[in-house]
Amino acid sequence: MNTDPLEMLLRDTLREDASASAGRLDGLEQRIVAELGERSPRLGWVEALRQLVAPTRAARLGQVAVVAATAAAFLIVGAIVGRDFLSGAPSGTPRVESRETMLRSGAENELLFVLPALNAENVAVVGSFNDWEPSPLSDEDGDGIWTARVSVPPGRYEYAFVIDGRWWGQDPLADEYVRSFGEYSSVRYVGGGGDGV
Amino acid sequence: MYRMQDEVTLLRASLQGETAAWGEIVTRYKDAVFGLCLGFLRNRADAEDITHDAFLRAYVNLRRYRLDKRFSTWVFTIAANLCRNRLRYRRNHPVFELENDSGGGTDPAREVAKEERHVRVREALERLPYAYRAPLVLRFYNDLSYREIGDILGIPEGTVKTRIHRGKAMLKEQLGEERDPS
Repeated sequence: MNTDPLEMLLRDTLREDASASAGRLDGLEQRIVAELGERSPRLGWVEALRQLVAPTRAARLGQVAVVAATAAAFLIVGAIVGRDFLSGAPSGTPRVESRETMLRSGAENELLFVLPALNAENVAVVGSFNDWEPSPLSDEDGDGIWTARVSVPPGRYEYAFVIDGRWWGQDPLADEYVRSFGEYSSVRYVGGGGDGV
Repeated sequence: MYRMQDEVTLLRASLQGETAAWGEIVTRYKDAVFGLCLGFLRNRADAEDITHDAFLRAYVNLRRYRLDKRFSTWVFTIAANLCRNRLRYRRNHPVFELENDSGGGTDPAREVAKEERHVRVREALERLPYAYRAPLVLRFYNDLSYREIGDILGIPEGTVKTRIHRGKAMLKEQLGEERDPS
């Protein structure tokens, strides 16, 4: 039994505050159910992909064969075209390819931000990993592609870019987006984290 | 229909898109979530908003909930994150804080003295930084363990203990100061 007077007073006050406002919650469940309508919880990406490919096992087996054959064809064509392209290419690698390479090279516990902003003066990223304080992105070669790397523990991170003082919340490389107070933010998951929201 | 069902059954039904089952989950947890939000935000309208948003967001993301965790901890985490965002927003868009009305009623001398104590605690809580207020609310309103509080706020258990200890000391100091201004 707790007898600390301050704890009892605190508990009492918090409970009294909540119960004094309990009327505000009348009908909350009905409002939420009405708002949800026919909506179902969002599918995980594995389930979403499975439903997209084929909803039944038989259809899935058939389509897996088609997908595998298509992928093999693309690989062969890609290998031929890639070999010809690289052998004739000048020393500079195309920008898009370099960006892809950078994305893949990110360590598991590292967030890599890449943003094309051709005429920007300043680009920064704000997010849950830096307590929403701006961390600058850099564009050392002046090609308009701004980058930054941030080491983080595994988890779910919300963030947005700030381009010359303007909020830019929809990073094309994000795993998902959230919207609050009329602004979008991007979300990335690092190292399998992310049961929080 | 769902009133007598256990929590796991309700969550499974919700996953199948049965929103009425989710309605029952809301009924069971709305007071706890609202009390948490009110304690964090110290503003009734914001607390009501965030409670509503937390249940919507929890439903949409229900597949992310892992059964090895308590459901309450998961939904409190969502509410705590939304509260943190709202507080950040409120830095630039301030509103009046929780007014000191406890619902009225009769005023015998004892009730008046008790209410005065509550008023002082409310004011002291409002002055307390969020980092100390949040663990105190989770501990003394939601009755959670240090570990659960750490999971919700994303801080180590040791830090939770320190913040609760320090938060209580700050409250005590403020309440003492008010009693004895010298």
